[in-house]
Amino acid sequence: MQRDLGSLPLAPALRARLVGAGFSTAQELLEVGPCELSKEIGISNEEALETLQVIRQECDSDAARMGGDPTSLRTCTALELLEQEQAQGFVVTFCSVLDDILGGGVQLTKITEICGAPGVGKTQLCMQLAVDVQIPECFGGLAGEAVYIDTEGSFMVERVADIATACVQHCQLIAEAHQEEDHHKALETFSLESILSHIYYFRCHDYTELLAQIYLLPDFLSEHSKVRLVAVDGIAFPFRHDFEDLSLRTRLLNGLAQQLISIANDHKLAVILTNQMTTRIGQSQSTLVPALGESWGHAATIRLILHWDNNQRLATLYKSPSQKESTVPYCITPHGFRDVQPPPPSQTPEGSEMNPRKRPRIEEDKQ
Amino acid sequence: MVMLQAGLCPGLTAEMIQLLKASGIRTVVDLISSDLEEVAQKCSLSYKALVAVRRVLLAQFSAFPINGVHLYEELKSSMAILSTGNKSLDTLLDSGLYTGEVMELMGAPGSGKTQVCLSIAASVSHSLKQNVLFIDSTGGFTASRLLQLVQFRTEEEEEQVEALQRIQVAHVFDIYKMLAALQELRHCMSQQVVCSGGPVKLLVVDSVSAVVCPLFGGRQSEGLALMMQLARELKTLAREFGLATVPTGIKVELDIGGYGALEERPGASGEEL
Repeated sequence: MQRDLGSLPLAPALRARLVGAGFSTAQELLEVGPCELSKEIGISNEEALETLQVIRQECDSDAARMGGDPTSLRTCTALELLEQEQAQGFVVTFCSVLDDILGGGVQLTKITEICGAPGVGKTQLCMQLAVDVQIPECFGGLAGEAVYIDTEGSFMVERVADIATACVQHCQLIAEAHQEEDHHKALETFSLESILSHIYYFRCHDYTELLAQIYLLPDFLSEHSKVRLVAVDGIAFPFRHDFEDLSLRTRLLNGLAQQLISIANDHKLAVILTNQMTTRIGQSQSTLVPALGESWGHAATIRLILHWDNNQRLATLYKSPSQKESTVPYCITPHGFRDVQPPPPSQTPEGSEMNPRKRPRIEEDKQ
Repeated sequence: MVMLQAGLCPGLTAEMIQLLKASGIRTVVDLISSDLEEVAQKCSLSYKALVAVRRVLLAQFSAFPINGVHLYEELKSSMAILSTGNKSLDTLLDSGLYTGEVMELMGAPGSGKTQVCLSIAASVSHSLKQNVLFIDSTGGFTASRLLQLVQFRTEEEEEQVEALQRIQVAHVFDIYKMLAALQELRHCMSQQVVCSGGPVKLLVVDSVSAVVCPLFGGRQSEGLALMMQLARELKTLAREFGLATVPTGIKVELDIGGYGALEERPGASGEEL
């Protein structure tokens, strides 16, 4: 197979020497032994052996793919993808209108970016999702685990405990209303301790640690195969200050985005990123836009912008491949991320709105 | 740039090659472009033998010029124009996508590049009944959205299923995998393996910039080389196999005023949903 040398993953200096010696395709290189190769281009024997191994691996994997099934390009048809998509679930947010505009919840195998001004609820949403991904399947969840990568230090365990307790209570109420065996069995393992123990928390203090963490994530995920959510709270923070070389920043961010989407696709999980807002000074006015620049805008598959309107918090779906743009209100209660409820006349506002994917609850008096 | 090897042509022996290598001539191009008298003296080889070898190598390795009229006749018989399914886009492109050419879509984030790609893929697969290869490097390919686009074109489920089956999707997230995928496609097509229905007629790459951007910036410069490799692969695929290729990229300043007619696209705009 005629693989051009330029398309093989070799170090640039090595490639320059190979081209200078006259090699141009992988085929020619494979015909030469390591000793001859090291003499020709003046590198050590070990390096020559390594290079030939890399090339042989690339060409062998190509040949194996083609030898096995000449028509397969490691592709699948759109029909198979459709079936896969319809079978996989979503991570619900407990705010039913937000779930609706997202098409059911946060999607797996995609990167969702949440942008917003400080204090609008990005970290709250991340924490809510880290709890919601663990809801057992009989209640409409994914029964997965969560990885939480924190760069800003805004993860509060007490708050997660509150959210988790509210979630467990909600599931208990459903189980009581519909007395079914699998509900009760699931509830035995779904408790505050189990929820907290299945959130894997990493704290990264600067961009090097963040990059290292994300590049090492595939190894972690192959050991913990039940992880269904990776939340990076504050992708903008390490990259926004103390970065002199902006082209390096763009390069690192783009590499990070590709690594994340490749993880999301290989391990079938959802990736959530939170981003800050910055001001773009226009000709006559200035607008509030997500930080990290235009090129970062292409990294996320789905972009959600959270903002204020007087005293009401609103969520706008700004970019999505399958849903249309719309804006919905939400609120943050002591129980977590919820729909906006008109305050009932005498009682304190109820906790959660009905999740359309779960069976409807019979109206219960919480007190 | 082919290396000189024994047996490449009659008269080129192993000892000759060793002597040539010793004086720095390693490839065919080196031999043809060097002064043969000098070489004959330096390597103590016969001048006649060298001239004979050069003649054979030239005949073997040079490209054949082709007459303009023959080229035109060939194009008339082999080129096809694929409609994109959107009348205004077709008008903009002079009646559609030409096979053998690469069309690049550029736009700001959220401007609708993936939607245009999905819409073109749905149209070619359903209306023209041709095979499509969709290389996705951003994770933006959503099969349910593609189904919606196909459903607007036909109500029958069988046709919808067939249309979806004609679209192959490959997920590649870095430049080397993308180059490998394109090489495989080239290999498949040159073997003329018949897939279900026929060969691929449309190649959509969404997006080229996602795999190429991580290579730019900083102090390393091999990003440009890899980008040119990718461009060359796409052009070769288009030219040699008569594919219409649609890669997408990003550009910050772009006047897409001409795309104002996108609202008329059947079933793909926000109003219909």
